[in-house]
Amino acid sequence: MAGPRVRIAIRDLSKTFAQGSREVAAVDRVSFDVCDKEFVAVVGPSGCGKSTILNMIGALVAPSGGQILVDGQPVAGRPAPQVGYVFQKDTVFPWRTVERNIALGLEYRGIPPAERERRVREAITLAGLQGFEDAFPATLSGGMRQRVALMRSLIVDPEILLMDEPFGALDTHTKLTLHAELLGLWEAKHQTVVFVTHDLSEAITLADRVVVLTRRPGKVKLIYEVRLRRPRDVITLRETGEYLREYGEIWHALGEEFAERTA
Amino acid sequence: MTRDHWEVLCWRLAILVAVLGAWEYLTGIKAISKTPGLYWIDPFFISRPSAIARRFLYLASAEVRLTIWAMALSTVQSTVWGFLVGISTGFVAGLVLGRNDRLARIFEPYIIAFNSLPRIALVPLITMIFGFGLLAKIVLAWTIVFFIVFFNTFQGARSVDADLIHSARFLGASEGQIMRTVVIPSALAWTFASLTPSISFALIGVVVGEFIGGESGGGLGYLIIQSLGTLNAADMMVALLVLGVIGIVMALGIKQVESRLLRWRPEYQKR
Repeated sequence: MAGPRVRIAIRDLSKTFAQGSREVAAVDRVSFDVCDKEFVAVVGPSGCGKSTILNMIGALVAPSGGQILVDGQPVAGRPAPQVGYVFQKDTVFPWRTVERNIALGLEYRGIPPAERERRVREAITLAGLQGFEDAFPATLSGGMRQRVALMRSLIVDPEILLMDEPFGALDTHTKLTLHAELLGLWEAKHQTVVFVTHDLSEAITLADRVVVLTRRPGKVKLIYEVRLRRPRDVITLRETGEYLREYGEIWHALGEEFAERTA
Repeated sequence: MTRDHWEVLCWRLAILVAVLGAWEYLTGIKAISKTPGLYWIDPFFISRPSAIARRFLYLASAEVRLTIWAMALSTVQSTVWGFLVGISTGFVAGLVLGRNDRLARIFEPYIIAFNSLPRIALVPLITMIFGFGLLAKIVLAWTIVFFIVFFNTFQGARSVDADLIHSARFLGASEGQIMRTVVIPSALAWTFASLTPSISFALIGVVVGEFIGGESGGGLGYLIIQSLGTLNAADMMVALLVLGVIGIVMALGIKQVESRLLRWRPEYQKR
């Protein structure tokens, strides 16, 4: 059987950090694959190393052991050109207007101004940021800034998108709105996505598969197939029986990991 | 303008009038009414507003060889040049060392040593090398401004948010593009914070340079030192007054430039 193409292969990935003279294991022999056009969420209690895994895929952190292949190439030094990254932290450049932030990737790639302008206008419309083209980030809400960050990553058409709790700092309502927008954008292009979060409902709402990690050091506890139909409506989805069943099943597994921390 | 603005303005004016009035009045009271030249508060040392105004008009007139305008121009010129040369060199050096740990470590002791040297102590040496003219004053202002701007830019270049650099890299930026679009704009905010102190220190450097620069250097510092020679408090006050005005105008000018270039910052977002 010719299965779907594997875009990201993670094999026995480990990471230890030096804490004073001690070595602390953050990630412990993690293995999973991400296939083409697949939306994978990685969840786990805080400190389980999920962001570290993402950073290793993005070549921001070097693994202590194991291997990551992106499209068959081992990750080393620089991020692969087909990879985009959306950070949890606000990484919109405060000294650039909305328009010029979104244009960054095109500017770096030397796209001529006329085309740049056209694509930026398109992205601004897509993100509902009309009227804020010339606004500086300081005047925008957190939700809008994250929208700008998302469009800035998407405008260069990355085939693989790494997202590190991009909506973690937003209130519930804004978060849901952005989930709907993200899913809409994803339905159009079907990028391969790795989405890190500690919010289980977010993971189920968005992903095809959920990788559940244990507490530190993070190991893969289970990989869960989300069987919810697409396209999904983020608001009504939560009231469906299927959603609650999926949630219950993963929660059961994750519960033990969270329980010991929050106790 | 709001009512509050007017009130503040009125108070400022009232204080000015009160001080000038008291100054003029008190320096006019003789200690012993019949004896000339004996005062409770002697105008010989601090002059009087009316005398200062007369001297100002005289120094501003065509009757003198070196007018107050020519001296002010000379001072402003040297200050602006020293300032410009100082910020550009300080900025570049701060950027280069701020982004290069190895270079920073190599130069660190020299920079600290030179910076802790009281710059005033260099005045005679600088005068010896560069003569009594404009150049010596510019060099003096430069040695002060350079370090202020350098240290700020250095800090700024070091504290660039790593995630901003990472996100630029993910968007396909080359190292040069990262420098241009992330490091420089981010460090500039720090550099600007150093400009207001820089211009005041440039002015200090220039005036001290003029103290020993003599007539060929001209400038308001020369007027002050010359007035000391002739024990002329009024002329000194005229020089101080003009220096004060120059200082205010320059500081305001910098604020203007700053608020334009840093208009993305939250504190300048009131539009």
